Amino acid sequence: MNRQFYLDLARAGHRLPIGVDLVLHEQPNPEAIVRDGQALGQVVAETARRYRTPLAIARMDLQIEKAVLLEILGVPAAEAAHYHFPTDPGAAAVARLAAGLPPVNLGLQAQIDAVGYIAAHTDLVPIGMTIGPFSLMTKLLKDPITPLYMAGSGIMAEDDADVALVGRALELGLRVILFSVAAQVRAGAKAVFMAEPAASVVYVSPNQIQAGSDIFERYVIAADRQVKALLDRHGVDLIFHCCGELNEYMVRQFTTLEPVILSLGSSRRLWEDAAVVPKHIVLYGNLPSKHFYSDAVITTEQVEAQACDLLYRMGRAGHPFILGSECDILHVSGSGETIRKKVAAFLGCRCEGPRPIRRYGEGRGTEQDTPAQ
Amino acid sequence: MADYEALRQAVITGKVAQAKEHIQAALGRGEKAQAILDEGLIPAMDVVGQKFSRCEYYVPEMLIAGRAMQAGIALIRPLLAEGGGKPRGKVVLGTVKGDLHDIGKNLVGLMLQGGGFEVVDLGNDVKPERFVEAVQKNQPNFVMMSALLTTTMLSMKETVDALQKAGLRQSVRVAVGGAPVTQRFCEEIGADFYAANATGAVTKAKELLPSA
Repeated sequence: MNRQFYLDLARAGHRLPIGVDLVLHEQPNPEAIVRDGQALGQVVAETARRYRTPLAIARMDLQIEKAVLLEILGVPAAEAAHYHFPTDPGAAAVARLAAGLPPVNLGLQAQIDAVGYIAAHTDLVPIGMTIGPFSLMTKLLKDPITPLYMAGSGIMAEDDADVALVGRALELGLRVILFSVAAQVRAGAKAVFMAEPAASVVYVSPNQIQAGSDIFERYVIAADRQVKALLDRHGVDLIFHCCGELNEYMVRQFTTLEPVILSLGSSRRLWEDAAVVPKHIVLYGNLPSKHFYSDAVITTEQVEAQACDLLYRMGRAGHPFILGSECDILHVSGSGETIRKKVAAFLGCRCEGPRPIRRYGEGRGTEQDTPAQ
Repeated sequence: MADYEALRQAVITGKVAQAKEHIQAALGRGEKAQAILDEGLIPAMDVVGQKFSRCEYYVPEMLIAGRAMQAGIALIRPLLAEGGGKPRGKVVLGTVKGDLHDIGKNLVGLMLQGGGFEVVDLGNDVKPERFVEAVQKNQPNFVMMSALLTTTMLSMKETVDALQKAGLRQSVRVAVGGAPVTQRFCEEIGADFYAANATGAVTKAKELLPSA
């Protein structure tokens, strides 16, 4: 693949949701499908076809790499989701990974096989999926924020066990992610969607960054670069996603990873981010899909209006842009039809010039709409 | 009159060792644990909450300050009990069934402690029946639930219904919060109030349960 492919999609006005979960939950047996690579691949393919996109983005399951890591380290599968390292598992844990990773767990194997299915049986672009190393690290510690802050204040790993644990968890997580990504690349992935939802102001204080700490580079970007380097060696593209709350510095840092697409959450004003994102990086997003489940929160008409407003503003910003969701659109029991209606709305709405818009979360409780500028 | 400004600053800036030193010095001077809490720790966390609301502090600063506050409370807790001091109220807190996110819930817990409340933190992935058991056991003033996913927030309604079924609904106020949660959702499921963030939750709890 090459960057121009994505730029051309953007220039053609492409739109797509991250929508595998919606299609998956239309099936009678979603729990079985996520363990069956061929079945999962068929769902991914169906999703791409339904939403008329060449991009067959894998299912966003950000628990997989944690499960794989803990399985290797001997933590029972039933405990994996809740498990946090009580102490630094030490160099022995690193050695176990370095010695060669065993057969993968069912969830990861299905993910890999689904990518393979897309590559072998469709004309779609197979896109793998992984959690980012920083975000995986945050799932391995009960409290990652405090030791991260301490590290940002200059406390070294040799001085504090919790700071050391952060470093170890990051190292272990990165190794598993590289394994997962390499396997998906071997299966035929042309791009990998890396989700770093924790790389945000919730976990890393902007105050520390402003005071000169390199904590974001050290703990987020440096590890992400290693994933990017792996992808580069195989000519595979990076789609980078963070739906967390960010500041401009963080957005700039993400661009240094040179993704083909940068996907951001609804807290961002993409037309403002366009000023700091190079024009060879497509921006994607960022309709507030986490609230699609409720018409009381956002109606279909409001989704259309926001979509048109976003398209208009991005057009004025002159930045390559693909309209989409702020994150994976999850199926919500009892609200499936409501959500699908809104997805269809933003995919299909005709937008001719600016439309009056009260952007979601702004001006609530007022009667007056604010015309798009 | 004792001056707790140095203690407050130690908490606000997250200096655990300094906070403990100031508390130990105050106790050494014969100052009461309740005064240390009411004039030192609680006002400090009020300032922390205000800084967060003004975007001067972010979650990391709140947690660091909270750590200093908790270290202080640990020092004075036995003395508070001896002195007959009572918490302002009691809160059962948890992230709902199927949801493993707990940062927001932890922040609420910190700010509630900082506000003088006793907190029973059930952790994450808390089934409705555990909330019910905790209410039966602890007889709290509030149950506060957190969810970060649209798929898990439905457990909040299950919990409200479980409390109703157990005959406990009228004995406790139920609060909900988390990224996908809204005021409208709160009303739809029959909860009592929605808080957009940790400081909002504490403010509302204080409003509903003013100190004597």
